[in-house]
Amino acid sequence: MREKHRYRNRIELLQGTLDMLILQTLQWGPQHGYGIVQALRLRSGEALQVETGSLYPALHRLEGQGWVRSEWKQSESKQRARYYRITAAGKKQLAADLGKWERIVDAIGSIMRAKPEESET
Amino acid sequence: MSWFSTFGFGRRRRELQEEIDGHVRMAIAERVDRGETEEAARQAVIREFGNVPLVQDVTRETWGWTRLEQLAQDFHYALRQIRRSPMFAATVAGTLGLGIAAPAAMFTVVDHVLLQPTPYRDAGRLVAIQETNGSSAYTWPSPWLDIERWQAQSGSFSEIAFSARLSGRNFLSEQTVGSEVDGERVSPNLFRVLGIQPVLGRGFIPETPSSVAGKNAGAIVLSDTIWREVFGGDRGILGRVVKVNDDSYTVSGVMPPGFRYPEGSGATPQVWFPIQLGSDDESRSFKAMQYTVLGRLAQNATVKSANAEMALIQKRVAAEYTDPNLREDHSVVRIVRYADSLVTHDVQSALLALLAASGVLWLIAVVNATNLLLARSTVREREIAMRGALGASRWRVMQQMMVEGMTLSAMAAALGIGLALGSVRLLAIELSHTLPLPAPATPDGWIVLVLVMLTVSSALLSTTWPAFLAARAPIEVALKRGGAQSGTSREHHRIRGVLVVTEIAMSMTLLVVCGLLLRSIYSLRHVPLGFRTDHILVANLSIPSYRFAGQNMTETLYRPLLERAQHLHGVESAGLISEVPLGKTFVLHLEMKLSNSTIIAFIKAVSPETQKVFGFQMAAGRFFGPEDTATSQPVVVVNEAFARLYSPDKHNPAAVLGAQLSKNSPLRIIGILDDERQKTVADPATPEVEIPIPQMTPASGFYRLIEGIAMDLAVRTDEPAAEMIPELRDVLRQASPELQNATITTMDRIVEDSYGSQRLAAHLLEIFGGTALLLSVAGLYGLLAYLVTQRTHEMGVRIALGAQRGNLLWLVMRQAGAMLLTGVAVGAGLALVAGQLVRGFLFGVNAHDGWTLTASVVFLFASGMAAAYLPARRAARVNPMEALRAE
Repeated sequence: MREKHRYRNRIELLQGTLDMLILQTLQWGPQHGYGIVQALRLRSGEALQVETGSLYPALHRLEGQGWVRSEWKQSESKQRARYYRITAAGKKQLAADLGKWERIVDAIGSIMRAKPEESET
Repeated sequence: MSWFSTFGFGRRRRELQEEIDGHVRMAIAERVDRGETEEAARQAVIREFGNVPLVQDVTRETWGWTRLEQLAQDFHYALRQIRRSPMFAATVAGTLGLGIAAPAAMFTVVDHVLLQPTPYRDAGRLVAIQETNGSSAYTWPSPWLDIERWQAQSGSFSEIAFSARLSGRNFLSEQTVGSEVDGERVSPNLFRVLGIQPVLGRGFIPETPSSVAGKNAGAIVLSDTIWREVFGGDRGILGRVVKVNDDSYTVSGVMPPGFRYPEGSGATPQVWFPIQLGSDDESRSFKAMQYTVLGRLAQNATVKSANAEMALIQKRVAAEYTDPNLREDHSVVRIVRYADSLVTHDVQSALLALLAASGVLWLIAVVNATNLLLARSTVREREIAMRGALGASRWRVMQQMMVEGMTLSAMAAALGIGLALGSVRLLAIELSHTLPLPAPATPDGWIVLVLVMLTVSSALLSTTWPAFLAARAPIEVALKRGGAQSGTSREHHRIRGVLVVTEIAMSMTLLVVCGLLLRSIYSLRHVPLGFRTDHILVANLSIPSYRFAGQNMTETLYRPLLERAQHLHGVESAGLISEVPLGKTFVLHLEMKLSNSTIIAFIKAVSPETQKVFGFQMAAGRFFGPEDTATSQPVVVVNEAFARLYSPDKHNPAAVLGAQLSKNSPLRIIGILDDERQKTVADPATPEVEIPIPQMTPASGFYRLIEGIAMDLAVRTDEPAAEMIPELRDVLRQASPELQNATITTMDRIVEDSYGSQRLAAHLLEIFGGTALLLSVAGLYGLLAYLVTQRTHEMGVRIALGAQRGNLLWLVMRQAGAMLLTGVAVGAGLALVAGQLVRGFLFGVNAHDGWTLTASVVFLFASGMAAAYLPARRAARVNPMEALRAE
């Protein structure tokens, strides 16, 4: 029970950015879960390894929000797989997330890059 | 979890599984493509993926269905609990089920009979308008001239309708054998006043009744029953010509199913004719046609205001009566709600008393179930504490208890509804002798719903409340205590003790009231009736008088019928009597007022053989014999009550012998009968005059009134009823084909039925009282048994320290005795109050009858002690070594 709680906390930490990343990936075309992991890994130059433990809850949550829709289709390797597709509402959400993310990056960036004006040492 | 799939849970679960499986397969395939071995790839992927079930769990939580899943789990758990102790579940469900059924049945009947007895539109505004002399309870119907004045002068009614029963027995015929119908002549506006329109046809066109043939001339409206039974529900019935007796009518409407007017006139199907005024309606004399009057109150009028207005009008109306006796009898107008005019006060209070009794039974059932559930949850206090220690939230534990309570109550509700369905049907049959209206055969949905809600909430409260307490209590204390002795808080014991005492007190009340009624029935059964009731069969005949029009029925119907009956094998004697004592079949009690004197008496027509059948005893003089024929001196026999009241010599009732029945009357009194019970066993005899049937000819005044309507054939026989009845029917059929459907019953049965409300109340109270006793004794047993189990350790210690086994027995019995005494004492107090409430039904017994009270106390105490003895003996038999080792 305790473990479950910790797990959930970590998801919450990642939530904002993970949702945004997933939606961004789906902008490029419908994709299944494994495909999303691979895409994120490749695009980030192997830097980002999304945990499946976070991915699937996120996907189902996004579907519940109506931002993505899913359907069962044949994959390239002739296997049945669940493909997620971004919806119009999802695109709007992505734009909003992106704006917010950029503001945060700007804000954090300006703090991190600022030169100390009155240093005590 | 197979039923899970029905909700779509299963499909989504499987899809998630498939999605993850697919993910793993793809990952493995890619690694294999990169040159890894299949085995190594699988291991790497699984390591990378992590805990699969956990991923599934967390994902599922995003669906938001966990709450529902938990509920399902709890439900499963509750079912498992029920399976593990089926007796407990059965007791709780059974107790609550009984508690729901009894009041549901009673409420349905009371609601139907007292609250909304009439199915007419806005029935609360329908009133009966009756004329009376102002002092007696007896009311008289009204002549047309009075009604006309009311219609013209009163502003209290939006409309006044009136009706009169078509006299005699009536038979509607399509082909050969007629079906008996009750014909009612009604004013053409009656259906509009009632607010019920025919389902077929236009009924009657409202118009003012007059003496010329109006728009409704020759019309007839059929009841649904007649339409279906005689005409097979033919929709083309309108305009068809049917015969009632020998007259032809044209069908102008069919009323909806269940419609009756007037209510309370038995079960014979009805038909309605429009009233056309005749010469009988032109005076207020004895000859005037009399009508039952029904009004619908105007918008702003109330029963009270209508009474006030009509009192003024009636003063002028009464002044126009020329006969002083009639003027007196019609001097006052009384307006009552139509519904109230149907139900007698006696029945009304019987029903209310029974309703109260069933309510008490419900309370006992709820208290008992609460007690059981409380005991159960205290035992489980430790389990609850353990769950708390393992991290379950209080809400979670309470939810689980609630689901358990809900499951149990649902079972109880299902059982209760089933029982209610059955008992309402039984009640309807039982009540048909007592009630003026047919009781409904199904319980009212709303009543059942309310009762189920109340019961379920009480059960929920008693399951969750202990859980709530337990969840709040510190966990360690409960855990530290030993297994079997967990959670025996003093508070809980006290509450449970109080609950048991309450149950005992309420049962005591029911028992005492039941005892009082049983004693009343006993007294009623031992009232000397004035006639024999054994070995008598009674056929209640509806006389198809139209077949005998223009004939002397005494000669053409009654004599041959009687002769054939007397010659039947096994018949000792057979007689005809217009109505057997205590019979209630003849709706018109012939209470006659002779026009030239003040004699009021029941009139009965009897054949001379009746004395042998019923064993009537003579106080003086003789009964009728073969010498009394149509040509001999006309004679009558009176009863003692008559002699006492009307004897010319006040001090010598026997002086009435040989006298004329009244001045100018040719009838001579030749005998005085011992008084017999006439209408009810409880009421003493009233004056009665009997006329010999052989002397009745179409020329005599009583002929038309009595012979053409009803007659009972009474037969004394030693043969079993089952063998005799077909033979009797055969005889009746030979006399006239309509008679073969007569109701045949035994005299014992008629007497039994005449006990009416007392018998009904006693019967039901036997059931209620018995159930209450059972429940409270079970409650007492349950509590003691539980306490003894809790105290096994203590008992063991006591024995180890040298206590005698007798002491232990005494210890438990004393506890039981204390609870019983308290309960009985409180109950006796309540019983005294309840006794006052049912005083009206008691006969030959006082409301605070010491014997009944004592008997109830002894009975309850004895049963209670017997129930206590079992756990007490168990306590006394505790093996100290086992008890101590069990710790």
